[in-house]
Amino acid sequence: MPEGTICNKRPVASREDLDALLADSNGKKYYAEMEELDVDAEKLWATIQKTMKSRTKTWLDICAHCGLCADSCFLYSVNGRDPKQVPSYKIQSTLGEIVKKKGNVTNEFMRMCMDTAWSKCTCCNRCGSFCPYGIDMGVMFGYLRGLLHSQGFVPWELKIGSGMHRLFRAQMDVTVEEFVDTCEWMVDEALEEWPCLEIPVDKEDADIVYMINAREAKHYPEDIVEAAILFHVAGENWTMPSEGWEMTSLSMFAGDWEACKMQVDTVYGAMERLRPKRMVATECGHAYRATVIEGPYWAGRPDGKPPVECLHYVEWVAEALETGKLKIDPTKKIKEPVTLQDSCNYVRNAGLRDCGRIIMKHIAEDFREMAPNKEHNYCCGGGGGFNGIGRYRKQRNVALKMKREQILATGAKFVIAPCHNCWDAIRDLEEEFEIGIRWSFLKPLLIKMLVVPEHLLPQE
Amino acid sequence: MFTKILFATSGSPCCDAAARVAFDLAARYNAKLFVHHVLGVPSRGFSQVVVDVRTGEKVELDEDYIMWVKDELKNTYDRQLKSGVDCEIETSVGIPHREVLRKARQEDVDLIVMGASTTGCEADADAYQRHFAGSTLQRVAKASKAPVLVVNRPVASFWGGFTNIVFGADFSKASEHAFKFALNTAKELNAKLHVFHAIDIGSTHSLISQKQLDDQMIEARDRMRRKYLIQAGDFKNITADIWEGIPYVEIVKYAREKQADLIVMAHHSKDVSDEDSAFGHTLEQVLLRATCPVASVNRADKI
Repeated sequence: MPEGTICNKRPVASREDLDALLADSNGKKYYAEMEELDVDAEKLWATIQKTMKSRTKTWLDICAHCGLCADSCFLYSVNGRDPKQVPSYKIQSTLGEIVKKKGNVTNEFMRMCMDTAWSKCTCCNRCGSFCPYGIDMGVMFGYLRGLLHSQGFVPWELKIGSGMHRLFRAQMDVTVEEFVDTCEWMVDEALEEWPCLEIPVDKEDADIVYMINAREAKHYPEDIVEAAILFHVAGENWTMPSEGWEMTSLSMFAGDWEACKMQVDTVYGAMERLRPKRMVATECGHAYRATVIEGPYWAGRPDGKPPVECLHYVEWVAEALETGKLKIDPTKKIKEPVTLQDSCNYVRNAGLRDCGRIIMKHIAEDFREMAPNKEHNYCCGGGGGFNGIGRYRKQRNVALKMKREQILATGAKFVIAPCHNCWDAIRDLEEEFEIGIRWSFLKPLLIKMLVVPEHLLPQE
Repeated sequence: MFTKILFATSGSPCCDAAARVAFDLAARYNAKLFVHHVLGVPSRGFSQVVVDVRTGEKVELDEDYIMWVKDELKNTYDRQLKSGVDCEIETSVGIPHREVLRKARQEDVDLIVMGASTTGCEADADAYQRHFAGSTLQRVAKASKAPVLVVNRPVASFWGGFTNIVFGADFSKASEHAFKFALNTAKELNAKLHVFHAIDIGSTHSLISQKQLDDQMIEARDRMRRKYLIQAGDFKNITADIWEGIPYVEIVKYAREKQADLIVMAHHSKDVSDEDSAFGHTLEQVLLRATCPVASVNRADKI
């Protein structure tokens, strides 16, 4: 069978395509069709020749198989130091082989590559920090995912996820109308406690445009109003775009580069339309990576930067606390031992390691660092799309063990996780291992601790 | 008075008492009833897994499962459904309180009916307990525009309508909305309204002097008149009482004495996420102990 009806090389192009995928319970039909999917070797090799740049070629060539990357990989550690989990082996035995064989690989081999690319690497890029040559398997696995996607070998959930981006410019089916209505709804709910609170939509020339993860609009819109409250208390002149508010990119996890560009163009379009001074991104790691780190290249921006200066939420909070825009009531600081999860995507991959510590200094009395931490911290265990793929749930649950050990070693029962993906992984970690911990985003914590100016409080 | 009622149910036996009240109310006031069940929290990307309320097992969320749950709900409420109530059964996926609030907003309902707690029923208590059970009710009650009618156990004094309404006054701002709801309900349904305040002497550790108690009584009487009774106008079917004691005990006793079929109170706890302060001690205790439905009113929108 050259192509299946739902598992094929064609990206999702219509609501019908998406519904057909969604109707397939747990991707059963999808994966069955995948077993019959033809590999278009010619196209694969042509794609490699066109897209594989000198960096990847060099990395594949110069890797000495020294194995120094092994211990850097948490998946290697938690899987009993299985040699098949050594990063250099993982990439050489997949991408390396495809290149060596000039794309002449079998369906079975491609499925092995898919399993490796999505269940043995979270693209956390930690290995790149420890390789003597600076070879980054995470980056190469990102590239491999793109090749696999172009041939239709992509996990079912991520085909849906990138399809959502193609159809809705969001990882979930939230329309512009639903989004604007959600903003109004959230203000409605909060007005009694926060008189004069606003979520200004499509305000031009504001100081800040705030952008989010679609899950907030879809499942926990409290997060949007919490951001609004904090901007309100800080006295910010801010706005949200009715279109282009979604910063995440499941298409990045899927390797669907075309959808990545479509998504980030919408986000940059909103920045250009509203002309804010700065963009503040919600507490999400991959959203920041997609929009701020990788996005400019997808969009072909000549300066390699987004249209306006972009801050992750931890940067804005750290700045607001340091400048006194937000003040913390010292009596309300977190008294119990608390630890902080460093998101790979904005800490290791964007250098924002100090912001979290500045925030902790203001809000926690007994902050306990994980070991290792900052840019050397491990992935939460569910990055790179791992959290959302049912096919690899078992492997993902094993991957959580490293974070479990790190958290237990701190003695803290409370984990601050300013990243949606880390938050999910830590929630699942508690569900899986029951180590008796709690977890939180920053926003609800900050609201509880704020010193709120009298004039912003409701008049009784 | 009630034209659209949302009955938010887990479908488990702990919602049976609430179901009875929801269907009875819809029948009596000819209201449209939305029976809404939230299947669970999505946590696996698009291969969503939910914990089945009855079996406690993790189930793949697909069309077949949703149909099965809807059929189960139809079977569970079979007797009530046959009574001819205009009823829609619907399921959704998401965080329960948010989806209940979303549905209430979409349909612009006048009343939400819920059970108070799934304690003892929840096979998934350790899975997503933060989002289920009492916390769902607390979050719905805090944010809902419509009054939330809570039925925690089989009610002894509810016969399908409201004839004796007890309003538990605490003089807060939210309690003004609650009073308006109680008054309007009493007026429209031709019920008796009993305004009641309990002076809290149970939680003070030192003995309160009679002089202090008398002073507090006088002050409470004055506030009750100024804040609430004055609004009754020519509505005469109203009584007012002030007792002293532990407020929740006194409210429950008072409601029993008045053969109340509805207690109305305000929910004005600032913070629902903190388990210790959730709901406020008095309202929570009344919910758990009252033998009639308890309406939590927090906002003025649907009064």
